[in-house]
Amino acid sequence: MSTPRTLALRAVWLLAFAPGALAAQDHRLTERLDAATAEGVQRVVDSAHAEGLPTEPLVQKALEGKTMGATSGRIQSAVDALFGRLAEARAALGRDASETELTAGAGALRAGLDAGSLRQLHALRSDEPLTVPIAVLTDLVAEGVPPDQATRAVLDLARNGRSDAEFMALRKRVQTERRRGASADAGPVVRPAAPPAADPPGSP
Amino acid sequence: MDERHEEAQDRLLGDIVAELRRPVPLDPSVDSRVLAAIRERGAGRRRWIAGTGAAALAAGIVLALVLGPWPSTAGGARQVQLRLAAPASHVAVVGDFNDWDPAATPLRPTSNPGIWTVELRLKPGRYHYSFLLDGRRWVRDPVQPPAAESDFGTPMSVLTVS
Repeated sequence: MSTPRTLALRAVWLLAFAPGALAAQDHRLTERLDAATAEGVQRVVDSAHAEGLPTEPLVQKALEGKTMGATSGRIQSAVDALFGRLAEARAALGRDASETELTAGAGALRAGLDAGSLRQLHALRSDEPLTVPIAVLTDLVAEGVPPDQATRAVLDLARNGRSDAEFMALRKRVQTERRRGASADAGPVVRPAAPPAADPPGSP
Repeated sequence: MDERHEEAQDRLLGDIVAELRRPVPLDPSVDSRVLAAIRERGAGRRRWIAGTGAAALAAGIVLALVLGPWPSTAGGARQVQLRLAAPASHVAVVGDFNDWDPAATPLRPTSNPGIWTVELRLKPGRYHYSFLLDGRRWVRDPVQPPAAESDFGTPMSVLTVS
């Protein structure tokens, strides 16, 4: 499996020797960032392009940093880190993963979920888009659900062939509970998982 | 804050609470375990929520509501309406759907004082965004999930369009 470091080395090689490996200069970077920052971010964008990774999330991360008043170093660091997470997400989700799936996967990794969760989700739901399940998994963790609980819940839904709407419904239920005052950081909750529902996919 | 403004906020709050309390059918074997876990861990978080709520009120931020996504359009994009109740003279939404440009997407005031709204057309995906009040204060949408990945310290929310 390729690590972010090996991917980066391959990207450097491609940039050095492969004609056409460079992405077009993104005018948004040159217009919004100082020259040095724009150049640094563009290099990462070129690496992503050479690796077949999505480039738009990297540009957006740089623009986000600029709007938020971050320093050049912080912007570069955030973009570099995102490149690594996108590569790790693709390693987990496969080369056919879409840009939105990879972006969601990178977000999940940023939230502290591990690549193994993404791999399991991919294995369980290989024929359907993964953006919503990954997004819901990330959102549950952001709402305070422990990662292991959130992962188990989302994998259960995937295992039972549930629709995107049912993943979103789970997230909404958790949000609702949280607004009622119940939430999730007062201590570990480890209880045996109930067996997955035996009803067939698509049943109510 | 005048009485009309407070009434408008109360109405908005009532609408949001009703929406949040609307039951959603779901496989009980899944959500019962998650919800049980949340309840068991509630005590400490309640204090945090109370403090956060008070701070938000003190800051004058009432609630934001995202309605949608609405029916899809021919190009696969969906219309999403953002609403925010906030005491401000100018509100913009800034996110990765508008290149993080504070000037790109202002909200417009509604007939209810302090209530702002805007409609966006977004392709399916996952979007990070925040509201900018009067060009200087960032406020995340409290209705949508918080972004777990805030690299620059600004409060943000995440909107998933499916």
